[in-house]
Amino acid sequence: MANPSTDTPRKKRWGFVMESDRCIDCQACMVACSVENNVPIGKHRNWINHKESGIFPNLNQTFMPENCHHCNNAPCERVCPTGATYHRDDGLVLVDYDKCIGCKYCMMACPYDARYVDEEKAAVDKCTFCVHRLDVGQPPACVETCIGRARHFGDLNDPNSKVSMLLATHDHYQLYEEAGTESAIYYIRSK
Amino acid sequence: MIEFLQMTDSKKIIIPTLSRRHFMGLGAVAGGAALLNKFDLLQPSLKPNHQNPKSLYPPVDFDREVYTMCEMCVWRCGVKAKVKDGVVRKLDGNPFHPHSRGMLCPRGQAGVATLYDPDRLKYPLIRKGERGEGLWARASWEDALDYVASRMLEIKEQYGPEAMVFSSTHNLIQTQFENLLKAYGSPNYGTQRSLCFNAMITANLLTYGMEEPSRDYSQANYIILTGRNIMEAISNSETQSLVAAQARGAKLVVLDPRFTKTAAKADLWLPIKPGTDLAFHLALLNIIITENRYDAEFVAENTVGFEELKASVAGYTPEWAASKCEIPADTIRQVAREFAIAAPNAFAHPGWRTSNFLNAFQTARSIGALNAIIGNWDQPGGFFASSGHDGGVALGSVPQPPYPRVSAMRLDGVPWKYPLVPLKLGVFQEIRDAILTGEPYQARGWFIFRQNPVNSLPERHKTMAAMSQLDFIVTTDISMNDTAWFSDVVLPEATYLERFDPLHVLGNTVFIRQPVIEPLFESKPGLWIFKELGSRLGLADYFQYDDEEDYIRQQIAPLGITLEDLKQRGYYTAPTHQEKNGHEVYTFNTGSGKIELASEALRNSGFAAVPKWDAPITNDADQFYLLSGKVAQHTQFATHNNRLLHERTPDNPLWMNPIPAQQRNLQDGDMVWVESSGGKVKTPVHVTEKIRPDSVFMIPGFGHVSKGLTTAYGSGVSDSDLHVTYTDPISGSQALSQTTVKVYKAEEGS
Repeated sequence: MANPSTDTPRKKRWGFVMESDRCIDCQACMVACSVENNVPIGKHRNWINHKESGIFPNLNQTFMPENCHHCNNAPCERVCPTGATYHRDDGLVLVDYDKCIGCKYCMMACPYDARYVDEEKAAVDKCTFCVHRLDVGQPPACVETCIGRARHFGDLNDPNSKVSMLLATHDHYQLYEEAGTESAIYYIRSK
Repeated sequence: MIEFLQMTDSKKIIIPTLSRRHFMGLGAVAGGAALLNKFDLLQPSLKPNHQNPKSLYPPVDFDREVYTMCEMCVWRCGVKAKVKDGVVRKLDGNPFHPHSRGMLCPRGQAGVATLYDPDRLKYPLIRKGERGEGLWARASWEDALDYVASRMLEIKEQYGPEAMVFSSTHNLIQTQFENLLKAYGSPNYGTQRSLCFNAMITANLLTYGMEEPSRDYSQANYIILTGRNIMEAISNSETQSLVAAQARGAKLVVLDPRFTKTAAKADLWLPIKPGTDLAFHLALLNIIITENRYDAEFVAENTVGFEELKASVAGYTPEWAASKCEIPADTIRQVAREFAIAAPNAFAHPGWRTSNFLNAFQTARSIGALNAIIGNWDQPGGFFASSGHDGGVALGSVPQPPYPRVSAMRLDGVPWKYPLVPLKLGVFQEIRDAILTGEPYQARGWFIFRQNPVNSLPERHKTMAAMSQLDFIVTTDISMNDTAWFSDVVLPEATYLERFDPLHVLGNTVFIRQPVIEPLFESKPGLWIFKELGSRLGLADYFQYDDEEDYIRQQIAPLGITLEDLKQRGYYTAPTHQEKNGHEVYTFNTGSGKIELASEALRNSGFAAVPKWDAPITNDADQFYLLSGKVAQHTQFATHNNRLLHERTPDNPLWMNPIPAQQRNLQDGDMVWVESSGGKVKTPVHVTEKIRPDSVFMIPGFGHVSKGLTTAYGSGVSDSDLHVTYTDPISGSQALSQTTVKVYKAEEGS
């Protein structure tokens, strides 16, 4: 088995491209994540935002899947007093549960509200991009089961990856770009 | 030893004397009593193992994968189950299965929480207190089956086999359930069908001679959905196909009084007045015919009754329809023209649970005619007969003697009251009413299998009253559903992850449902239950298989494969015998052998031969249409106790438009009474723009009354307390939106 922390090529930057138009808000991603990662009932690592506007009968509703943005410039990492939150070379932002003292500074700092306290772990937790699957060559559980194929995952630094090609050919945006987080989640603009 | 199990108001099942022997028994099967608690079994060690840095994020690891089929709804997706130390850890979609294509919906993903639901039935129970009191004695299978058989034989002897009603819902083992009731000799068989798709299927049988034409999403350029909420009422592969079609550029038109998630995805959402879809489609027919936009050649060659249809729809102009359905005439005209221009690479979806109003049958007929006249049959992007429509792979069958002749009338009125309802579909709600009235004869017993009529039939109080008329009720399920709660005997079946079911055939491929783990507790597979019960009823000859595996072996005997092969891959594809050269000629299985725009069968039964307007009820000013429809996170009445799904959608507040809400001084979240002529419920109101002002909406299936469902009990309210029984005389459909309700603020303490 390869050691993920040393063998992963440095140039990789894992990330998501979300196609809102293909998201039907079925929430299979949320349930799959809960089972895959043993997320406690009542907490979640991924979610779907609803953007609604209009008055009957002229209505609009867009669904935006979201999870931890694994920011390049991660506010959670900067405020962590113990170094529990750290960056991997491939861009993943992870939590070392043993170093976490549960101060929740990271939860305050995260502009995406991506973190929660796992009482049983006695640590703050969040989406890991399913690092355990990634390291054995599988996509995150939410991506695998997405029946609308709204969640695309891949190496943003590889110009030939599906995610890079989607970005190259579609108008896209990021959430709280102005905060300078350098998020690894891109959204394709709706039709 | 008898142990009394009291299910108390505290929503906890107290098991006073679980002996050490039983405890050990559970341990041997399932790894300990931890199974009774939350998700302990699914939790890995809480702290990562730091001796090995790679395990900082412990994966869902597994020692084996099992290919089987989902049963969280009826779509039968392929599942790849990951198992570790005898525990099912994760379910993924089977990439080789055409219904899942590697993906599962939220319900499929949540299957582990159904398997490890602490409320699972653990052993057979025989009622000790009053019905519904929740006092049960634990019984051995031997004793429970002996008791059930003796009561069923008693009823048969005293009143005849017709006094025993059997009911079940769409599932793979249905053939064996039907085997049991036919061998027993009862004509009284209730299914969910009349609460669901009777109108659509009866209409298609009378139009196309098939239950449901398939749709080619891959090349359709224009799709009309009438009350078919595919993005929420998920049929996995069909939902995937629709999303892909839209991404490709297909235009989607959605008719729905509610802004569903499908409507949110539509290019054109038409918030049609409830009950008037028929007017809309009659106008589409009118425009396409009067503007000569139909496929005259196809119509001449493949249909009968076009001239009669033309005459029938002559008066249904867009302006006429606009006055009925409240969609502007120009919009109707635009849809008709766009649809005809996109033809033949276009279809109007036949719908699924179309049983909304008493005119739903006519709506389904007009949709059938609309597809026919644009000539989309067997064209890219149109309707077609699915492969295996005529049965697909021929499986072996288990030998059995002929069934006893049945002379008694069916309690559901088919065919003596409902001449056109296919025998297979039946009219379930009529059986309930016949139990109540004792006409044409009094039923005495009810065998319920994987079904929950206490929540699914309209007018729950009538269903409860009917049950109180019966001498004996036995329910088989995986949990104490609401009907089981009021039964005399409850038999615990193994879940879909613990048993075999008869094979599923799709064209030239067979798929297997097989146990991922051994059945937990003392639950048993349906095939075992039927065989054991059958032999106690003196019907052993009808169940000539040794066990589940033997049953499957007899099924695959003609295929020349082994059960081991099938188990390993989860499916087997038989070589196709015929080379297909070009288009397969499909003969429509109707009286004329063609698509029947005018139906002689309808005419001969005294109904209109061609689609025609049938006005729906109109609601009074202070009344709302009560709409119901699915969400992606629940299936009918069966998933509300699944904690992963409960977490996603825990209840069902009443949707109401802000205009009527303001008139009633209602804020979002206020408690209201919802009252129909059938009953009333108290629920929070959800004030939203996403519904017409003349309608309210409620997710069905909530409001469980069984205290044996500790998660679902007390969550939400049941639409079955409100729905009034209205049966379509042609198709036998229960018209689920025909009920109108009053809504008023619930004063504190009321």
